[in-house]
Amino acid sequence: MIEALVIVIVGAPTAAGLGAWLADRRLATGLAFAGLAASIAAGVLLAGIVFTRGPVRAWDGLVVVDALGAYLLVLVLVVALIALAGSPTHLAHEGRVGNFLAHDSGQYYALLSWFVAGLAAVPLLDNLGLVWVAIEATTIVSALLVGFVRTPQAIEAAWKYLILGSIGIGFALLGTLLLYASSIGVLGETSDALAWTRLTEIAPRLDPGLARLAFLFALAGYGTKAGLVPFHTWLPDAHSQAPSPISALLSGAALAVALYALARFHLVTVAALGPAFSSTLLVVFGLLSLAVALPFIVAQGDVKRLLAYSSIEHLGLATLALGFGGHLALLGLSLHLISHGLAKATIFLAAGRLVAERGSRRIGRLAGSLARSPADGQAFVVAALVLAGLPPSSVFVAEIAILFGGVQAGWGPAAAAAAVILALTVAGLLFHVVRMSVGPPAPSGSAGPSGPPAPLGERRSPTAARALLLAVPLSIVVIAGLWTPSPLADALEQVTVVLGGGRG
Amino acid sequence: MTIDPGTARELVDACAAAIVLLGVGLAATRSIGRAIWLVAIQSSLTGVAALGVGLATGAGHLLIGGILAIGVKGFVVPLVLGSILRRSALRRERHPLLGPRVSLVAAVAIVFVASAAANGAVLGASVAASRALPAAIAQVLTGLLIVMTRRKALSLVVGLLVFENGIALTAFSLTYGMPLVVELGVLFDVLIAVVVAWVYARRMLDVLGTTSTDRLRSLRG
Repeated sequence: MIEALVIVIVGAPTAAGLGAWLADRRLATGLAFAGLAASIAAGVLLAGIVFTRGPVRAWDGLVVVDALGAYLLVLVLVVALIALAGSPTHLAHEGRVGNFLAHDSGQYYALLSWFVAGLAAVPLLDNLGLVWVAIEATTIVSALLVGFVRTPQAIEAAWKYLILGSIGIGFALLGTLLLYASSIGVLGETSDALAWTRLTEIAPRLDPGLARLAFLFALAGYGTKAGLVPFHTWLPDAHSQAPSPISALLSGAALAVALYALARFHLVTVAALGPAFSSTLLVVFGLLSLAVALPFIVAQGDVKRLLAYSSIEHLGLATLALGFGGHLALLGLSLHLISHGLAKATIFLAAGRLVAERGSRRIGRLAGSLARSPADGQAFVVAALVLAGLPPSSVFVAEIAILFGGVQAGWGPAAAAAAVILALTVAGLLFHVVRMSVGPPAPSGSAGPSGPPAPLGERRSPTAARALLLAVPLSIVVIAGLWTPSPLADALEQVTVVLGGGRG
Repeated sequence: MTIDPGTARELVDACAAAIVLLGVGLAATRSIGRAIWLVAIQSSLTGVAALGVGLATGAGHLLIGGILAIGVKGFVVPLVLGSILRRSALRRERHPLLGPRVSLVAAVAIVFVASAAANGAVLGASVAASRALPAAIAQVLTGLLIVMTRRKALSLVVGLLVFENGIALTAFSLTYGMPLVVELGVLFDVLIAVVVAWVYARRMLDVLGTTSTDRLRSLRG
């Protein structure tokens, strides 16, 4: 049963990708949707089993899914659905301005499906070596997507992403290796010597020197993938140059997956060395990411880079929460990751549409977006307010929980510093939102380098579907800030227990 | 077929010494064609060392891993890189950030630092570290040096491969390699990373007319 579900979750998008690679545009779109739909059905079923009956195992422990894994799986699949649903409109636009050939659609949907399959595989695997393999595979596949539009800037971004990402994640492999070296000192060369379930059990007997070094390398490696400062330099380029649905997937899901891998290392390290060592490092790098992202948000002129730096800020906050530990901060973290994923994916789709209609990414040139494209303009404003952390939204609740949790856990000064930075970030974001949303539209004579504007009415996606695509995830985030249904609260509680080092 | 442990140890030592020399050569050369062949030999030697220990200890996963490493990193990857090089007009590093002489000195310095680090504190105490460990650390650092100081796309890929050889050798000297399924996954990732680099190098040639990453400086802030 569990085996079959896992095969569908990873196998369906993989197979759909193979088909899409060879198919024409319509068939490729259909295949990608069918693959993801099957994956979501199986994923939700699996998550339901985990949350009601506890962790599940398959194939002799190769696959183990606990509450944290199930949570991340659902996050990946939901964000993937948003990204995929936004893809046809985006591709139609890129095709119109000639950045993109119609027969490339098949490749796009194939790579997108494989990207999702790789991301979905990570939370299922109970082997830190295979977790590394899956994450590196997503890096490589998504590098092809980042440079999918063949402009010099996109090629530059993809190239940086590929080289810096591979070097960075090479360090994570070294970290995995050192952990393996310390683990076989205890277990011998068994097949479960890299299983995080086993590692947590035997952690007190691991060589402390090796465990410490392993965490440092894992922090540098997965920190690169999660966009932690100072390993973040590839992120604003890749997330801003990628096609917008891919940006949505990178920011909303891929960063969370990297943080998940780091969290597994953190849990093993805490069990081995006590909380002081790795928690302090996570707090330091989390705060550093928040602090460095701030000026780039305030002074940003490019809307997609603005969103990319906002992702660095939010992942910094999540890392901080992981470092704080304690029940309240971790509860905040579990609420935060999924809320950020939903809101960030939506805002990238909305921003992508605004940019496409305007032919420019400059915030100054996007003035008057509310009047020009109401649906996407409104979605952008609401999502930006949510991401700024204003109430009512689950991002707000999560941020408050993380900050108060930090104080409770004895990290008062760090929490206070984070609160100040977050407040300044709100101001910076609001400034840009106001500039973009209201005001007279900039003269539309120059549609920019991307060609003539679309003939009205002709190529628009069905408006109702578009509005639904943008409104549903945002409504969830906003309503979850006011009221949490008890199954959701129960699930988050279980995730929090796992993040706190318990068994979910 | 088996060989006795003493011979295996000598084989590994010889491979490690050759890998260090090749690393120094890689850091110093400006010819990209030569760099590709040097890194191919270096990768193959990493595989040969794994084979030697596999034959001595009867560890099947080292034999499979070693043979695949030689095949993938020693032959397939250099052929892919060579095919990009043939399309590219520039076949030398014209203006690396460090000249060949400085690079040579830096590479030699790295070897000494790596030996000191490997003999030092943490690792030596707990693990039966083989004598390949200093060579492994040196290759990780040499790979980083190449990636940081070169500008041609192909040179960066070569640096990445040297870095990866260092990691493979570390794996092998600390723990006699990772579990086979992980080793296979890592090799597969290396292979597709090189293929993707090949795709992008071709696009750089098509769109920018060069594989010099100097032209890739527009994204800031």
